[in-house]
Amino acid sequence: MKLPIGWLRELIDFDCPPQVLADKLTMAGLEVEEIAQVADEIVFDVKVTPNRGDWLSVLGVARETAPPVGKAVRWPEPAVEGAKPSTSEHISIDIEDPELCGRYVGVVVRGVKIEHSPDWMQTRLIAAGMRPINNIVDITNYVMLELGQPLHAFDLHLLHDGRIIVRKARAGEKITSLDGSARELTQDMLVIADGDRPVAIAGIMGGLDSEISANTRDILIESANFAGTSIRRTSKRLGLVTESSYRFERGVDPSITLIAALRAAELLRDLAGGEVAEGVVDARPAPVEPWRIKTRPQRANAILGIDLTPEVMLRHLNGLQIKTTLEDGVLVSIVPTFRPDITAEIDIIEEIGRASGYENLPLTLPQSHKQGADSPEGLFKDKVRGILMSCGGQEVLTHSLVDSDMTELAGRGDLMIRLHNPLTEDIDSMRAMLTPNLLGVIERNQAYGCSDICIFELGKIYFRTPEGGYDEKLMIAGAVAGNMWRSAWSRPVEALESDFFLCKGVVESLLDALGITDVEFVSAADPVLHPTRSANVLVGGVRIGIIGEASPAFAEAFDLKGRAQVYELDFGALMRYAPEVLKYKALPKYPALHRHIAVVVSDDVKYERLESIITESGKGFIESVELLDVYKGEQIGPRKASLTISMVFRSHEKTLTDEEVNSVLDRVKKILADDLNASIR
Amino acid sequence: MSESDNLEELGREAIARVADAAKSSELDAIDTQYLGRKGALTLQLRKIGSLVPEQRKGFGQAVNDLKEEIQAAIRARREAIAGGETDARLAGEALDVTMPGRFYQIGRPHILAQTLSRIKDIFIRLGYDIVESPEVESYHYNFEALNYPLDHPAIDEQMSFYVTEDRLLRTHTTAYQHRQMEKRKPPIMVCTMGKCYRVEAVDATHGHTFHQVDCFCVDHGITMADLKGTLYQFAVEMFGPDTNVRFRPDFFPFVEPGAEVAVTCSICAGKGCNVCKGSGWLELAGAGMIHPNVLEGAGIDSEEYTGFAFGFGIERMPMVQHGIDDLRLFLDNDLRFLRQL
Repeated sequence: MKLPIGWLRELIDFDCPPQVLADKLTMAGLEVEEIAQVADEIVFDVKVTPNRGDWLSVLGVARETAPPVGKAVRWPEPAVEGAKPSTSEHISIDIEDPELCGRYVGVVVRGVKIEHSPDWMQTRLIAAGMRPINNIVDITNYVMLELGQPLHAFDLHLLHDGRIIVRKARAGEKITSLDGSARELTQDMLVIADGDRPVAIAGIMGGLDSEISANTRDILIESANFAGTSIRRTSKRLGLVTESSYRFERGVDPSITLIAALRAAELLRDLAGGEVAEGVVDARPAPVEPWRIKTRPQRANAILGIDLTPEVMLRHLNGLQIKTTLEDGVLVSIVPTFRPDITAEIDIIEEIGRASGYENLPLTLPQSHKQGADSPEGLFKDKVRGILMSCGGQEVLTHSLVDSDMTELAGRGDLMIRLHNPLTEDIDSMRAMLTPNLLGVIERNQAYGCSDICIFELGKIYFRTPEGGYDEKLMIAGAVAGNMWRSAWSRPVEALESDFFLCKGVVESLLDALGITDVEFVSAADPVLHPTRSANVLVGGVRIGIIGEASPAFAEAFDLKGRAQVYELDFGALMRYAPEVLKYKALPKYPALHRHIAVVVSDDVKYERLESIITESGKGFIESVELLDVYKGEQIGPRKASLTISMVFRSHEKTLTDEEVNSVLDRVKKILADDLNASIR
Repeated sequence: MSESDNLEELGREAIARVADAAKSSELDAIDTQYLGRKGALTLQLRKIGSLVPEQRKGFGQAVNDLKEEIQAAIRARREAIAGGETDARLAGEALDVTMPGRFYQIGRPHILAQTLSRIKDIFIRLGYDIVESPEVESYHYNFEALNYPLDHPAIDEQMSFYVTEDRLLRTHTTAYQHRQMEKRKPPIMVCTMGKCYRVEAVDATHGHTFHQVDCFCVDHGITMADLKGTLYQFAVEMFGPDTNVRFRPDFFPFVEPGAEVAVTCSICAGKGCNVCKGSGWLELAGAGMIHPNVLEGAGIDSEEYTGFAFGFGIERMPMVQHGIDDLRLFLDNDLRFLRQL
């Protein structure tokens, strides 16, 4: 809210410079966000928190200025001598719904002359961020800014039957509001009606039909108090937010209603040549009186962590116009009606803290000597992050709001969570998989000119459960494209060129470092993956994730240059399978012997089969098997593959001799030949 | 010429030859020639019989001294020659050490993960348990349980993405508080962190997605001064020993009294600069004493126990620290950006 300082000075004296006042208000909780010079006027831009509707006026800010500057507020005392006929002879006011309108004051001003408002008023309105219109509208706005009470001016003669009825809209009723929009009203919306029809949407905007025009002579000023929740609902429903609705939503002082009406009448008399009708109509079916709150001084000290005497607390509260006395050691406060935010002892305690200054609170720490701990997920995340970084992975963090089309393309649309009110269509849902996001990162980086990419993300996916609930879980996903060298001059760059097996190497390294065993890679079909270059990752026979080359459809959707490899693993599953403590196995006591063989087999024989035959048939002697090379080509004939395999022979019981090793190797060769129809070279 | 002059001459000659030797094989020859079984010195020693007895002892001593002198010279020279040969070999192995190292590109933690991990460490040391918390939340936990009045403008400040009528993407990490209060018994000191979402158009300083940290503490006798001390402790560890905190009143429905917390601007050390808009302070957190309605709603007796809570956004910290001028960089994952931090 914009607050011209000259206006503030009309209601309170202060001699500190504006910057000092701004600091004082800020430290009292009314933040001055900016100090600007508008023409000759210094204007504060203050940020009013939603609980303090009472600050939305010059009067309200003056009240907050009073304690720090030690001066009293000058309340406006409008002096209007009314003339006959009286307002009640012009108009009757009925409130059908006292819960939504506790008070409605009407005052008639006759014979006004519609023209521009005086320059001083226009300047102030502009400084406060409002557009001058004519003297009548400007006066209603001026009083609203000054006292916080939204007003409305009707052309008296356009109100049918001389009646004002505050009621809920009837089925099918419509109104064209001042902004020219035709609006359908629903039965929970509060309206101001005349004898026939709605003439205003209560507390939000008047109707075009009863608007002040150049021909207006006599007007009815409305100063009313509407319930904030009702105004808020209607305002949201209609998509119509006004200065008036903004104030009602935050609460308007029910004690200012009459004063504001008279203040407007006074200004209409002085600035628009009007004659004020005698008396007002003050319909007040639900009067609000100040309320009492008791506060224990020791409780206040216990909450704030300070040590104030009850007398000091008393003084602070009275300075804020919360009239307080001390009765039997308890503070008894009478809360003024402009402070609807104060409803309980804790609110009074905050006022005591605020008035005594948060800057005066000491610095202490809670007395409990509890130890803190990271979550199991946090600890495991750190472990996984460390391993993947040592594998060359750069951690990324991507958006959880994604394009539902991409999730559909990934075949994970079924349980996807869609947003009811997305900001834009390309972020209309929650991610159900990390992989598409990582391909997006590759796409962007390729566009930025970086094609060698090895990334991973530890992040959540979100989904509906088959039972109709909602859930989210952590996933570990990674992607590689291009090659992994930082520099490899004069060396074969292909060694770290990304392909399925490099990606698999990362996943194997991760599982190995986590101590997860019994891992299998089984060919898989997944919409995000290449149909013949993808696998499910199984631990103990249970699927815990996928790995493979990005499917051609995805590569195209992301406009990828070259192929990209991805993996996505279930974080929770890995956490369950990873042993908490890795066990040490004694180092071997006896030396190892090495042998190589080249096995030529049909090219549909899976390596895993070959390896397990070797391991099984050499049990007790063969410690490890390693694939060194694969050759396919003319020299060995069509549909054949030659695999060069290295074996380490070792016994836990003794030093093996060449003869022993050769005899085991012969057995292995024979079984390979028998079982796989292999020829050994 | 006396025997001793002769011996001296022989010695000078041998030492000179040792000094001139260029190869270890030459030294072998010198060794044989002077010290061998038929060497010059050995022959000298044989003359001892022809000397008068009173000269014998002195002469013998002189020969032996010379022998040791020559041996030492040969040893020294031998080492020098061997060193030279090694030097020559090593010289041939010279590398241009200014050529680039060969290695694969290593990875780093994402800058936000680095920040979160520092924050986490500090709060663990201050006694907080880190807990996980859901991002798809119920309206109840995000607003109602936190004392947001129904149909109140306070909810507008946090425009939410809705999934259904009563389910939304949490607008603040504070949404986990009530769940934790229901689950635990005081003393409770917990902390959570993660993504939050608000309906907000994206630009350099705004986004629909951001990260927050939230902590709260419930126990006997917890005070607002404890809150201030805790945030001071955090700020000093996070931003350095000269950091101070400023509390001023603010409003959040779930705390009363409520406070906005600012810390000394780390760029200008509080003197005032562009980053802090001349104020010397940077807004850090929203904080306050947990509202009795929130405690009671979770079944905690607000007369017996009190508590404080605070929460803050993460992105601002690395932005200020590293001079990052665009919020979008964090989730865009441009490797040229990530590899700098």
